[in-house]
Amino acid sequence: MTTPAALFLADGSRFEGTGLSHRGIAFGEAVFYTGMTGYEEALTDPSYAGQILTFTYPMIGNYGISGEAAQYPRACVAGAVIKEIAHHPSHHLAKTDLPSWLDAQRIPTLVGADTRAITIALREHGTIWAALAVGEEALERAERELAAFVRTASTKDLVPSVAARERHVEGAQGGKRITLVDCGVKRAILRELTALGSEVTVVPYDTSADALLADDPDAIFISPGPGDPTDLPETIETLRALLGRKPLFGICLGHQLLALACGAKTYKLPYGHRGGNQPVKDLVNDEVLVTAHNHGYAVDTRSLPADLEPTMTNLNDGTNEGFRHRTLPIAAVQFHPEASPGPFDARRLFAEWLDAVR
Amino acid sequence: MPRRNIMVIGSGPIIIGQAAEFDYAGVQACRALREEGHRVVLVNSNPATIMTDPEVADAVYLEPLTVPSVEAIIARERPDALLPTLGGQTGLNLAVELFEAGVLERYGVELLGTPVDTIQLAEDRERFKAKMLEIGEPVAESEIVTEVEQGLAFAARVGYPLVVRPAYTLGGTGGGVVYDEEELRERLDAGLNASLIHQALLETSLLGWKEIEYEVLRDGADNCIIVCNMENIDPVGVHTGDSVVVAPSQTLSDREYQMLRTSSINVIRALNVQGGCNIQFALHPTKSEYAIIEVNPRVSRSSALASKATGYPIAKISTRIALGQTLDQIPNPVTGVTKAAYEPTLDYVVVKFPRWPFDKFPLADTQLGTQMKSTGEAMGIGRTFKSAFMKTVRGLDLKREMLTGGEYLEWSDAELDAIVARPTHERLFAIAEMLRRAGPAGRDAAIERIHASSTIDRFWLHELAEIVAAETSGDPRAARRAIEPGDPSFRMVDTAAAEFPAKSPYYYLSHGEMNEMRPTPSDAVIVVGSGPIRIGQGIEFDYSCVHAAWALKAAGASPVVINNNPETVSTDFDISDALVFEPPGADEVEATYRATNAKGVMLAFGGQTAINLASELSERGVRIIGSDRASLDMAEDRAQFEAALQRLGVARPEGKAATSFREARVFARELGFPVLVRPSFVLGGRAMEIIYNEGQLASYAESAPPILPGAPLLVDKYLKGLEVEVDAVFDGDDILIPGIFEHVERAGIHSGDSISVYPTQTVSEEMTRRIVEVTTAIAQELRIRGLINIQFVIHDGALYIIEANPRASRTVPIIQKATGVNMVAAATRIALGEKLRDMEYGTGLIPRTPYVVVKVPVFSFSKMRGVETILGPEMKSTGEVLGIDESFAGALRKGFIGAGVRLPGSGGRILVSIADEEKHEAMPVLRRYADLGHTLVATPGTRAALEAAGIPCEAINKIAAGSPHVLDVIHARKVDLVINDAKGPREISDNYRIRRAAVESGIACLTSLDTAKALVTALETVPGPPRSLQEYRNGARA
Repeated sequence: MTTPAALFLADGSRFEGTGLSHRGIAFGEAVFYTGMTGYEEALTDPSYAGQILTFTYPMIGNYGISGEAAQYPRACVAGAVIKEIAHHPSHHLAKTDLPSWLDAQRIPTLVGADTRAITIALREHGTIWAALAVGEEALERAERELAAFVRTASTKDLVPSVAARERHVEGAQGGKRITLVDCGVKRAILRELTALGSEVTVVPYDTSADALLADDPDAIFISPGPGDPTDLPETIETLRALLGRKPLFGICLGHQLLALACGAKTYKLPYGHRGGNQPVKDLVNDEVLVTAHNHGYAVDTRSLPADLEPTMTNLNDGTNEGFRHRTLPIAAVQFHPEASPGPFDARRLFAEWLDAVR
Repeated sequence: MPRRNIMVIGSGPIIIGQAAEFDYAGVQACRALREEGHRVVLVNSNPATIMTDPEVADAVYLEPLTVPSVEAIIARERPDALLPTLGGQTGLNLAVELFEAGVLERYGVELLGTPVDTIQLAEDRERFKAKMLEIGEPVAESEIVTEVEQGLAFAARVGYPLVVRPAYTLGGTGGGVVYDEEELRERLDAGLNASLIHQALLETSLLGWKEIEYEVLRDGADNCIIVCNMENIDPVGVHTGDSVVVAPSQTLSDREYQMLRTSSINVIRALNVQGGCNIQFALHPTKSEYAIIEVNPRVSRSSALASKATGYPIAKISTRIALGQTLDQIPNPVTGVTKAAYEPTLDYVVVKFPRWPFDKFPLADTQLGTQMKSTGEAMGIGRTFKSAFMKTVRGLDLKREMLTGGEYLEWSDAELDAIVARPTHERLFAIAEMLRRAGPAGRDAAIERIHASSTIDRFWLHELAEIVAAETSGDPRAARRAIEPGDPSFRMVDTAAAEFPAKSPYYYLSHGEMNEMRPTPSDAVIVVGSGPIRIGQGIEFDYSCVHAAWALKAAGASPVVINNNPETVSTDFDISDALVFEPPGADEVEATYRATNAKGVMLAFGGQTAINLASELSERGVRIIGSDRASLDMAEDRAQFEAALQRLGVARPEGKAATSFREARVFARELGFPVLVRPSFVLGGRAMEIIYNEGQLASYAESAPPILPGAPLLVDKYLKGLEVEVDAVFDGDDILIPGIFEHVERAGIHSGDSISVYPTQTVSEEMTRRIVEVTTAIAQELRIRGLINIQFVIHDGALYIIEANPRASRTVPIIQKATGVNMVAAATRIALGEKLRDMEYGTGLIPRTPYVVVKVPVFSFSKMRGVETILGPEMKSTGEVLGIDESFAGALRKGFIGAGVRLPGSGGRILVSIADEEKHEAMPVLRRYADLGHTLVATPGTRAALEAAGIPCEAINKIAAGSPHVLDVIHARKVDLVINDAKGPREISDNYRIRRAAVESGIACLTSLDTAKALVTALETVPGPPRSLQEYRNGARA
């Protein structure tokens, strides 16, 4: 017995397949991820909150779900689209199989669809609102409800949906004291920082500048997170108030927020970067890094103010991948040096940034 | 960069472990160098390659790949630089030898790309291990040994099983897994002898760990990328060339994938590789621990596979890196917009399945281990593993459409169990049969049992079980529909999973999905390729397919190539206007024909595999251009062919088609022994034998394939005459014959295994006229429109025809190379409707060249334990080399040297055992060896004959007479050459043991008196200096 399911794009196109046991409907931006491994990390990456994620790699779930790879306590995607899902995973760390886990997480999932056709549609149309419906009842109402959703859809609620609500501390005392402004942080970032001996205080994204300064941290990190950076004007203001007062480091959404705080502009990419194979030129060290990406917006290099210097550029499309302040200890990268999923070519940035502090 | 003179060394003849992948790599390298404005000097002895075409390099030397030979070329050409990493292990070893001999320094030749020290480090197991430990990368516990006793001491310390890996060999020659002291002694002795530096590594076995490979590129500025990773279904213990390999890895978590990726980059940096590099890992199945198995600091079979699997041209980019360019500067040739500093991502699955030659070698040891045994491979691309895997099974040309069924249905459970535990080439089929027997209810239990005994990951076993379930109906088409329903839809290979639009016209087939096939720039014409390389159907057919594609382009048509061999030039998407990477089967050809709206399909270039599609395609309304189905049928159908010959008054050895072995005996008596027997519709002389008496016929009947209705056993009178071979082009009115070959060995040895010579040396003018006349008449009668290959025998002054093939042949590349007449282009243009008289090639028999070319076959017997090496009507060679010289003897000498025959130096010792029926004829030949100052060492019967003829010789015992006997002198390498022509291939005789001992000791062994005669002729001469093909050609025109 198979459950009919389909992905509906707001331009009227429809991609059919079957669903898992969980029936229901998801609305969100349709995006695609090009990594060939790392589905557990991707599905639990808070930056995918509110998005319907298509995996371009056709066989997903082969090594099951370990729990250890998770970047967040639950699945963050709104829906998932997979060509062929593994019902018989094989891995010594696997605790369950992917379809069972997606059902338990109540994630509407489309299986057997032409994921390459979907990717081509997204590449040509650009990121687009979509609905993923599983089951006859959901399919019946999907198009109508998608039309209604599109009229009111926004990314504004995404960061609050995944960011920490309470402050908490990770890592042991005695090392560098870092405050991490949480817009939807991945476990791997905390792992990298604490592995270097830091004590990391995670605070909500809307913590005020005064409160941040009251802790007198050695540095402030701004995490990645979902959505449009301009959805967070208060956070941008907070960061602006911190300029010159604390070392500031940003990753992904944090990179965009820092750029905005410094006076640069951001814009929406046609269909984003989501995968683990983006080549980035490190302009300072003159080397190529292969990096993990998950973002739909970018910093406009031409808008960088004079005191910000671009440090990294994307070799595929020339987008800004990093900058640093010419005089202050401020630096940020668009990609994910913590990988997870993806390559660790830029892992050294964590140590470099921490070394630059005090 | 200023224009430089750059030498490229190719990989020489096709042998097991080194196949067409280096033609693909070499062609890319030469093109990249010339695109950058450099002059290319190419050295490669293999004439069947595209890279040795004069269009590919500025100076092509078809000369032996030895230090003296290449030094002479360097002295003439004075190259500025040498590119050593594109010619496989052969090219790499030769570059190191040239360096060590001081040749490069003497002539001021710079080595490009990866430095010599890196090559030496990667090959020297001891230094390599030390380096890995220094950078903190794990390797298996091991010891370097140069003596057997050292190995035994290591084994006493760490226990068995152990892996033996000789240094400086290719394809794992001489290596293997040993389980006890006796095996260790035997294997280590052979391995040390196979090693260039008499060194081997013994390591603790990682048997059962996952085997994972990474293809890495690094440039001179230290930028590194991973092009592809691959997972072997067969765990560590089976050579990766003999493993079923999947790209990308399927059972590795992201953490494991990245762990090995990071390690790969650490290793390539520590080794200072500049260009492509292959790294093999063992990954523990339950601990996420790993160990580095080995590193190949060059392009390889795996890099060719990775290039075809991803679309990323590793050899081309490696060449540009060798020129000093960096990955962030080099444009990405697939997308045209991004840079070469890019890690491909796939949205499909690639499977490679090896093709083994065991069907040819009944005595071969079929156990798989660390010594590679396959000759070629088929690759499948599919949206899922199941789809891709089944494409390889179909694409192996084993006449299997499914994983289940056939002979395995008859096997006992115990037989299946045995193969699953100790792998042979049939292991996955045996597993499928076990899963089939277990049924849906017993499936999980069967998977556990198979996993326990084979250590193959359960993931693969579940996938295989799903394929088995899909095949329940027993109907291959239904099985395929169950795995992938819907209509055929072409998808693109774009390196980017559709993230960027791609330019490369590289496709595979899916079903029930979006169709991405774009219209070709002009009218499409399909060239059907020849599939995996196997004995009897090698790289030569790929050569013809590539030329056909080029000729189509030149004629303004759009070539569309269908082929599934990842090693080849034809499956480089640069060659055609559309590449369809699929098995060359009727369904795939038809789908492509309809999707491209093609004008026609050309079958004549893809060997027998392509020709066999003729009737089915015709029945489906697919238009075949060139020779059509009627011609193809007429040549294949004995009755039709005989009728045609009778009409023409052309003789052929008297023969009959027997429908039973009993009938065969009756016919043999009527014709009189010896007779030549073979099943009809076969390739490369499979199961073809010369039978001298009824006893032999009876034993043939026991082991030969059964006689099937519609495919009788052919019984011919055997004529031991001079064999002559003609390749011609016919357009309906005119014929074009670039040249005629004659064979050194008289009829009875397969033409692929014979030494052959162009121009003919002993054929009279009158007979030549007769050959041209008969060839023309046959071409006319068979209504050929394009190529035809005919084999003749001249016996007692009369001309007999043996067979006619309406297609390209093994000799086409050689005759094109020797004469400069592009007969494939002529045939292609005829298929498009042109006439020879309107082309530039001329008609009739083209005048002989003033120089001589000699093709010498090359065998891979040292890789095939147990194989009988005596030559006969069944083909055994895997490749060939060419010798070119002013004289026949000089060309022969170069050919023998190029083929790796170590010529006995002055005062050599030659072990001779001659069959009784040939002793009389042998004496003058052996006298010539003695006259050259060699010492003949003879077994008693031959010694008696030599003494009777007054030829001095030393005596040696037969085996039964006790030590020191023949095998002792061979093993101790106290002889330099073995001549042993004693027949009786079916029994494990003294002679068989002598021949095997020679192979295992690396001593040339000639099994035909005719070859021995040719060799002594070669020894008596001094060949001319090396000259490039271009110089020979220009001289010829002058």
